[in-house]
Amino acid sequence: MTNITPSTSGAGQPHPKPGPPKARFRPWLVRMGENRVVRTFGPFVPVILLWWIIAELEVFPSAFFVGPGTVFEKFDELIAKGILPAYLGDSLERLFYGVLFGMLIGVPAGFIVAMSAWARKLTWPLLMFFQAIADIAWLPIVIVWFGFSLTAVTFVIVYTIVFPLMISIVSGVEQVPRDVVRAARSLGAGRLQVFTEVILPGALPAVATGIRTGLGYGWRALIAAEIIVGTSGVGFLMFDSRRAQEVTGVFVGMIVLGVLWFALDALVLAPFERRTIERWGMIRTAEAGR
Amino acid sequence: MRTLEISNLHKEFVDAYTGQTVVAVGDVSFSIEQGEFVSVLGPSGCGKTTVLNIVAGFDTQTSGSVLVGGKQVDGPSPERGVVFQSFALFPWKTVLGNVTFGLRMRGVPRADREAVAHQYLELVGLQGFEAKYPHELSGGMQQRLGVARVLANEPEVMLMDEPFASVDAQTRRKLQEELTGIFETKRPTVFFVTHDVDEAVFLADRVVVLSSRPSQVAEIVTVPLERPRHWRSALDNPDFRHTVTYLTDLLAAGEPNADESEDAPETSAAAGAVGEG
Amino acid sequence: MTATPASRRGGHLPRRLSAAFWFAVPFVALAVIWAIAVELSGVERRIFPQVTDVASAFAEMWRSGDLFTHTGASLRRMGLGVIAALLTGIPFGVLLGSSRVAAAFFAPLLRFSVALAGIAWIPFATLWLGYGERAVVFIVWNAMFFALAYNTMLGVQRIPTQLIRAARSMGTPRHRMFVEVLLPGALPNIVTGLRVGLGYGWRGLVAAEIIAASAGLGYSIFLAQKYFRTDIIIAGMIIIGALWLVIDRALLAPLERRTVERWGMKAVNL
Ligand SMILES: Nc1ncnc2c1ncn2[C@@H]1O[C@H](COP(=O)(O)OP(=O)(O)O)[C@@H](O)[C@H]1O
Ligand SMILES: [Mg+2]
Repeated sequence: MTNITPSTSGAGQPHPKPGPPKARFRPWLVRMGENRVVRTFGPFVPVILLWWIIAELEVFPSAFFVGPGTVFEKFDELIAKGILPAYLGDSLERLFYGVLFGMLIGVPAGFIVAMSAWARKLTWPLLMFFQAIADIAWLPIVIVWFGFSLTAVTFVIVYTIVFPLMISIVSGVEQVPRDVVRAARSLGAGRLQVFTEVILPGALPAVATGIRTGLGYGWRALIAAEIIVGTSGVGFLMFDSRRAQEVTGVFVGMIVLGVLWFALDALVLAPFERRTIERWGMIRTAEAGR
Repeated sequence: MRTLEISNLHKEFVDAYTGQTVVAVGDVSFSIEQGEFVSVLGPSGCGKTTVLNIVAGFDTQTSGSVLVGGKQVDGPSPERGVVFQSFALFPWKTVLGNVTFGLRMRGVPRADREAVAHQYLELVGLQGFEAKYPHELSGGMQQRLGVARVLANEPEVMLMDEPFASVDAQTRRKLQEELTGIFETKRPTVFFVTHDVDEAVFLADRVVVLSSRPSQVAEIVTVPLERPRHWRSALDNPDFRHTVTYLTDLLAAGEPNADESEDAPETSAAAGAVGEG
Repeated sequence: MTATPASRRGGHLPRRLSAAFWFAVPFVALAVIWAIAVELSGVERRIFPQVTDVASAFAEMWRSGDLFTHTGASLRRMGLGVIAALLTGIPFGVLLGSSRVAAAFFAPLLRFSVALAGIAWIPFATLWLGYGERAVVFIVWNAMFFALAYNTMLGVQRIPTQLIRAARSMGTPRHRMFVEVLLPGALPNIVTGLRVGLGYGWRGLVAAEIIAASAGLGYSIFLAQKYFRTDIIIAGMIIIGALWLVIDRALLAPLERRTVERWGMKAVNL
């Protein structure tokens, strides 16, 4: 049925309207634009170039702004001394424990609140309120309780992840179509089976969303905690450099954080979302829209 | 006087993924007189929307020309108002806000545009709904608003792309009857795209039949029906039934994948010819 | 205008009372459990204050005027940062969203920036702008700007093509598209961006005040930590939570109710 004529059969047809030079560049640009790596990392090339030019022209004093070259040297130095790998390890460890315990608490708690009307009625206002106390505001009291320790930082990250996760799961369970639940019931599924077969997979995308939101906050909490608690970690590296008026270290820290987030997104978050959200056909509108 | 004149319209798309060229419109020529209602009928995918989009100025042709009121079409303009299948009402504007939109864009003073708006809202039977938002209206009412919104601009030609395809069958009949009523009182020039044979015949003065892709004008059929028209009498009218049967056969012959084409040699030959041409 | 049904705005008194009751019950229960737990566990009250200690700390802050000084300072900074972010983020997002090439180019950069926005900029902000007011406002602005711009861009891209075509075919000039179509059309996503951004901004504010300010709620709880005044810390935390709820209920929720919900435009989740 599809009547695609191979290449241009309409050779006799003139092309008066579209500009010809644009047409020639198009396939090359389009092919470049289709490559995922190019699309993701390409835009950083001109940005780095711009950064380099601004630094070379010395638009800002070098105490405030340094170029890519200086940053790279510092990067090299910090790796050679072993400081950066050690700090990075510390940050990742905190984030790992925070996310792990956050999920271990948040996922079951979320489903309990979602499934029981009573639990919902009693805890919902509290959930809203605890979510509202910005996680970072817990730092002072946590420092009193646990001192300047891994526990203090982990506590704050767990806190940031649990609430968005629970709230997401509740709304995810709510969004499971009632007719699907009824269909499962009428096909002979019991209460438990409805939960494991319908509600759990139906709410998985919400879990993914919740983890992403939670990590967005948890990540910031980690940086803040490292700055304020200040013993080690990438956040500490940045603030320590700032205290010593060494802007280069701040640049190194920012870049490490950015790369770390990209890696986290590409290696952990995005695959998880693909497996859940896209598989259940909830997303895709982003591409179809245009 | 000719309001719309389409000559040798040709349109190719380059498929973004495969890079292949798709001929959406082969070679289409026809014209619409002032105050005439023309239906463009064809199998789905034959390029009807593409022709309409070019006339509307949303797309540009690969070759050929489109003249409206003697002027070459260049981009969208309020002289060619479009009624969309998806209604395309502004959800953030009230019924009144939607109808006065075009007038406001042209700088018509508030009092004047509200007077005009009320007149057209009454024409489509939406008086009393001015303060509602589109999502509070039924599908049929939304499309009435879509029509009023265009007519309020008094365009040279109203372009309608399967405007009733997304409402239920009963409402569709009603809307079609109302549209003929509006046409008979206001006499706008209408370019109406559809794949529904009954609809095309009931509404139009003439029906332009497009063949399947690459589309050409297979035939232009004049509808021998008196106005005013009503479904009740049209269905009993032998002229109506003949025209519908004739057009249905014409479409079936042009369809390459028609179910009967396997055991009917002459139709499959015809389909092959169309496919090549 | 048609009168708003009673249930929408005022609500029936019994229903509203019942809602308030069910809102209060969990908090009362929590306070009771807290009081009993502190009493029975015999934990040192300097480490974990009793409910009454927190209440008197609150009263003390009220009387001394500290409460208003700090709350005022925080809200002022938040307000300035939010206004700056709205005025810059939304136009920037619309600009990017209306060009496919610009959107494709800036999307990865914006995602990168959203991940870093806010707190991570504190070292830079204090280095460039010095400790104090300007650095804190910068952090609030920075925390919101990228989330707002990114979501606005998505929102503009998601406006149905037909709506833009409809507007153009009714003679909308290019310069009026922003106000007439792009802004309202993208509003569901703008509200999402505002939600996310305000969340980052509020956290950024607290963190920046801890580090870089000499007034404000973040500063006050950090100062209390230095003097081991856990009662003041917890009172401060409660104020921070309550203020956020007020911002959410008094600003975001009505905005959503009057626009996106009123117009029947469902927000597209990210
Ligand atoms: N933007 C486009 N890019 C590529 N192909 C297109 C585009 N628009 C339409 N087509 C193709 O052109 C043909 C005609 O489409 P259309 O005009 O929508 O048909 P109709 O409205 O008659 O159903 C279809 O085969 C469609 O795939
Ligand atoms: Mg079509």
